[in-house]
Amino acid sequence: MSAGSVRPGRYGRMMTSVLRGTLRLDVLVNRVYPTDFNPLYYTGGLSNLFLLTLVLTGIFLFFYYVPSLGGAYESVEYVTRTVPYGDIIRGVHRYAADGFVVAVLLHLFRNWFTDRYLFSRDNPWISGMILLLFAGFIGVTGYQLVWDDRAVAVTTMLMAMLQSIPAVGPVLVRLFLGGAGVSDATLVRVLMLHIFPASALYLLLWWHYIRLRHPKIWPPAVWVLFCLGLVFLLAGVIPAISTTAATPATQPAAMPLDVFFLWPFALLNILPPGGVVIVLVVSFALGLAIPYVSRREAPVEMGVRHAGVAQVIDGNCTGCELCYFDCPYNAIVMVPSPAPGLSKAAQNRTLLAVVIESRCVECGICIGACPFEALELPKFLERDIRAQVTDALRAEAVPT
Amino acid sequence: MRTVYGLGILFLCVLALVFAAGIVFGEATNRWLFGGALVGGLLIAYSFVLLLMRKLGLIGPRKAER
Amino acid sequence: MKVVGFVCDWSVDLHPLLDRQQLRGVSGVHIIRVPCSGFVRPAWVEDALSAGADGVFVTGCPYGDCLNREGNYLMRDRIDALQRRLQRRRIDPARMAMLAHGLHDGDAFVAEVRAFVERLQQMKTSAGAP
Repeated sequence: MSAGSVRPGRYGRMMTSVLRGTLRLDVLVNRVYPTDFNPLYYTGGLSNLFLLTLVLTGIFLFFYYVPSLGGAYESVEYVTRTVPYGDIIRGVHRYAADGFVVAVLLHLFRNWFTDRYLFSRDNPWISGMILLLFAGFIGVTGYQLVWDDRAVAVTTMLMAMLQSIPAVGPVLVRLFLGGAGVSDATLVRVLMLHIFPASALYLLLWWHYIRLRHPKIWPPAVWVLFCLGLVFLLAGVIPAISTTAATPATQPAAMPLDVFFLWPFALLNILPPGGVVIVLVVSFALGLAIPYVSRREAPVEMGVRHAGVAQVIDGNCTGCELCYFDCPYNAIVMVPSPAPGLSKAAQNRTLLAVVIESRCVECGICIGACPFEALELPKFLERDIRAQVTDALRAEAVPT
Repeated sequence: MRTVYGLGILFLCVLALVFAAGIVFGEATNRWLFGGALVGGLLIAYSFVLLLMRKLGLIGPRKAER
Repeated sequence: MKVVGFVCDWSVDLHPLLDRQQLRGVSGVHIIRVPCSGFVRPAWVEDALSAGADGVFVTGCPYGDCLNREGNYLMRDRIDALQRRLQRRRIDPARMAMLAHGLHDGDAFVAEVRAFVERLQQMKTSAGAP
């Protein structure tokens, strides 16, 4: 049976060629690294590695930071100049943040282009988009905490963007600043807005992992060493430094912006603040919509690949739990069996397997695990597979 | 090819020793950036030693992937 | 030579390689497409081998890249477990194989299947010879 008589539309074909390009990258990397060391298969774990680095170095920096207009800059300079290895820890914090964004974007694009958001995998996708949003926000507040020229410029631009939001704009600005203008209260709030979302990331990660069995949350040792080494090396070679201290008379001027976190502010060069807000909101909304509109092929175009949700054949199930252990998406649960089964082996069962349909991705791994023919995929019935095998063994070989 | 990998491991180990000496030097003379950069270099060298050992077959996939 | 191959939809790209249900370039290899390599029941492999297939192989994604995350590992473990059972039934376990290939690995896939079929030929001729 050929793969569907309906041809995918232009969008579907474009996404298919993007998929092929993504996997071509794998081929290149697999020439150097064994497949279970390929970093592209561990983009989530790499992100987690950078996050942990950020948290640990952040705790170190937090011990020295003073959240007041007069004391912030001095305290950061103290850590950088006086504390042994303080400059390195600060640099690691900064470069791990960039590394985090790189890893997260690799993770996003790879999982998008290889269709890993279908069925119940929209849970990791949506939680991942929110994680991305939080991460961006944490990065911006991080640059503000230093309270140098750049921080003042970022704050001014951020306030302009918040102000442009209709109805709630001025309220948000007052909430953020802790009053009518910038004061000590502002930095306390910015510190809270830096640390609290960072802690909330771990809560969101619980949601991010919940639909997956054995999520790969840590990369192989080779990559742990390499990424940690890279951020330390960068921290030593290109030290992270503040620009000049902010004074009440500081006027924000042109300055280089960190492309990973501060790109929305670079957009302010070509768009008004309201325009940048719209760009951000629309991009985020499009990102959230991906699991629901981005399929390369509609189910009818998928032909044989749309297998149907796995069905338990109640009479045969013995409660052996093999399907429960093998399902990669926790879509099978064992319940106390309400009645004995029909087949001999199922007579004495105490447990019964139940498929949670909203979690099933129609992969069929449970069918492969079950020794008792108690599971079926509706479009890939056992008898059809056996018939195909019989036909294959009977057919004449096509001359090569 | 195996000799190339073996020589690579040897070279990286010597390099790692040099880096380690540099870290101690940086510690002693309060050159924290220098020492920190060398810590980074050391970790990167270790990661390549592990890769070469894997290609030699001395180590295998981690338990989750066996 | 009759060889049956279960090939996962997401692994190697079969479009340029198939001539109806058979693999181009290697004679006697019939391909059955499955939604994931983990879908294959060991019973089908065993029964195909005892029903007249000279060899059976299952092809999944490269290890680490299964779309369903663990399907190829699970299938590899099931094939390993099947070795003992086949030995007890006096079926040579070398007649089955687990392959792992990605979308672009068409050439490597065909080469590995060809090598598998040649090994089967040798086993057949050396078994047939007195």
